[in-house]
Amino acid sequence: MSVTSAVDDVRPARSRPARGATRARSGSGLRARDRSGYLFVLPFLVFAGLFLAWPIVSGLWMSLTDRSLTGSGGGFIGFANYAEAFTDPQVWQTLWQTFLFTVISTVPLVLVGLVMALLVHTGLPGQWLWRTAFFASYLLPVAVVTALFLWLFQPDIGLFNTWLGNLGLAPVGWLSEEGVAMVSVALVTVWWTVGFNFLLYLAALQSIPGTLYEAATIDGAGAWRRLFSITLPQLGNVTGVVLVLQVLASLKVFDQIYLLTAGGPNGSTRSILEYIYDTGFTNYRLGYASAISYVFFAVILVLTLVRLRPTRKES
Amino acid sequence: MTLLTGPGPQMSRRTLLRSALVGAGAVALGATAGCATDAAAGGRTQVRIWDLFSGADGERMQKMQAEAMKANPDVAIESVTLAWGSAYYTKLAMASSGGRPPEAAVTHLSRLAGYAPGGLLEPFDMDVLADLGITQESFAPAVWERASYQGELYALPLDTHPFITFYNPQVVADAGLAGPDGLMRSPGSVDELLAAGKAMAEVTGETGLAYGYVLDTAQAWRLFWGLYAQTGAGYELVPGRSAQIDEQKATEVVEVIQAILDGTVAPRSQDYPGAIASFVTGRSGMIISGEWELPAFQEAIPDVGGMPFPTILGTPANYADSHAFVLPRQAHPDRARRDATYRVLAHIVREGSLTWAGAGHIPAYQPVLSEPDYQKLSPQKDYAAAGEIVVLDPPVWFAGAGGDFQARMSDAMTPAMQGRADAASAVRQMLREMNRFLSTPNPA
Repeated sequence: MSVTSAVDDVRPARSRPARGATRARSGSGLRARDRSGYLFVLPFLVFAGLFLAWPIVSGLWMSLTDRSLTGSGGGFIGFANYAEAFTDPQVWQTLWQTFLFTVISTVPLVLVGLVMALLVHTGLPGQWLWRTAFFASYLLPVAVVTALFLWLFQPDIGLFNTWLGNLGLAPVGWLSEEGVAMVSVALVTVWWTVGFNFLLYLAALQSIPGTLYEAATIDGAGAWRRLFSITLPQLGNVTGVVLVLQVLASLKVFDQIYLLTAGGPNGSTRSILEYIYDTGFTNYRLGYASAISYVFFAVILVLTLVRLRPTRKES
Repeated sequence: MTLLTGPGPQMSRRTLLRSALVGAGAVALGATAGCATDAAAGGRTQVRIWDLFSGADGERMQKMQAEAMKANPDVAIESVTLAWGSAYYTKLAMASSGGRPPEAAVTHLSRLAGYAPGGLLEPFDMDVLADLGITQESFAPAVWERASYQGELYALPLDTHPFITFYNPQVVADAGLAGPDGLMRSPGSVDELLAAGKAMAEVTGETGLAYGYVLDTAQAWRLFWGLYAQTGAGYELVPGRSAQIDEQKATEVVEVIQAILDGTVAPRSQDYPGAIASFVTGRSGMIISGEWELPAFQEAIPDVGGMPFPTILGTPANYADSHAFVLPRQAHPDRARRDATYRVLAHIVREGSLTWAGAGHIPAYQPVLSEPDYQKLSPQKDYAAAGEIVVLDPPVWFAGAGGDFQARMSDAMTPAMQGRADAASAVRQMLREMNRFLSTPNPA
């Protein structure tokens, strides 16, 4: 988000002469440009309609039926699916676990990303190397990341347990112990995606005007003072963006969990999206799965509204 | 990225649009190409077969299909191998309900109860099969029964693949567990199995048995359900009613498993690849495993031995499943394709069974078992007896290979197996999960 705004800052300066030329040409050109504007938006509208609007409507209808993946069912059953969802302990358990994951992944993702960006920005030599190294893991597909970590976490011969063994410590069931498994999944997620937050923060850091620091230095502010009174406040907006993006990404966690633990051990890492997937695609109950999706959707909607209000005021 | 490297070479809008158009065109071309498959088959009748064999058995299935094509030159088989597991059955169900499924597909017999009643499959025409030399007499009665629904045959059985034990003959001999014929003496009680495990652990220096179940969606259930059958206890799982199992016996079974996973006889916490690695590298002398891993074991231990799962709880019983061919219901049946499908399937089951046995599976087509060529296959002939005492999953719609039920059951047992919970609580959770499945409506 700050990426686009930074680009926008640059572009008007470059294209200013061109814009003046267009204005000089004619007034009727504007209307033609409007029309072509709609034409450009049309493909997006078609796709959004087909793959966003229609599924939302059709999913809502499906949640009111007993539709099954095998094609049978489909009769209207009112709110029976919703009634079942509210009394299904699995829904609440997986919802709770999803929130848990969101908390234990978002906090380190934001903090580690920030610290990495600060370190790189304030003088580690070989900036390009750090930049590439920190961002590289983000470019890996999830299947590669999980395959790597499955071997690292391997209970018998994995690297982590070998290290622990060398230190004389007892092996840890990284993915097989309840309570530990979710932390391991969060660890994988942080390693995999922290590069993106790092990049957003680094971009924001580079756009803080140097004059602020100069003035502060003249006023006698030390490095820490500058960090807390200039750098961090200037990063406030980016932090808001990073937080929202991160919370949304974490709430819809599915792939790394599905590939690492399939929801185990004993269901302790099953996220709500995985429960929806299991219900709809493994157990074929599309109607009920849709109902759970809408319950989840409502929860996210409430969260977003609560979260968005302060941000809007700030900006 | 461009942000950090400065205004580098950027894709112009026109280039972007052009490449997007080209991309869209390619997609459209791909879509139309899908309709022209019969022409691509060179005028031959096309038979599409889906399977889930991605391991060593996949190679053999390709070979069997190639031979079936050689015998039926007018048929072109298009084989699609998909990943094993729940996603395979999701795809199969979706293709069938969409009306454009493959002509034939491989399923586990344990999944048939969830498929046959829903109208997703077509029964086999027994007269046509009989003309091709396939009759009921050629199959074990128990297997035939599981392949049938309401008196009609819905699945053509290809094999039985039991969950058995393999052993390293060297370790077994050093531990003094070999009989006069050089084969391992099968332990006849829990104590004998534990003693054998300890003896082998002394030889290997690590553990006696290897058994990987951690984070696996089936392994724990396979061991449990086979041993539960060995206790002779019955069960009643009827949708809409609460589960009836012998809790006492089930708890005993979990306790037996806990005793085996004591860290010496077998590791407390081992996962599937870890168990295989331990066995093939000689860090354990025996492995509890499906026979489908045989080719992998033979590569490392050429003279690897095998035997049915030891009868340690009284009644001989061996957990197993069975691969079979089914005919997904077509929205637009094609007579020529159907006829070709019957011919190639019959050829694969009758003539391909020996090839199939090489992958470790016990052919369902019984006449093969008495052939001298099969009797030469070792260790297959040593564990073929397991095929006579097989126990499949309960015949309810939610059970079966790659299903959520097996995963939930395995999950429920894991804490107890790792020694972090007691056996009784594991059984209570299994019962809770069973009741949850029994109370959900059958989606088919």
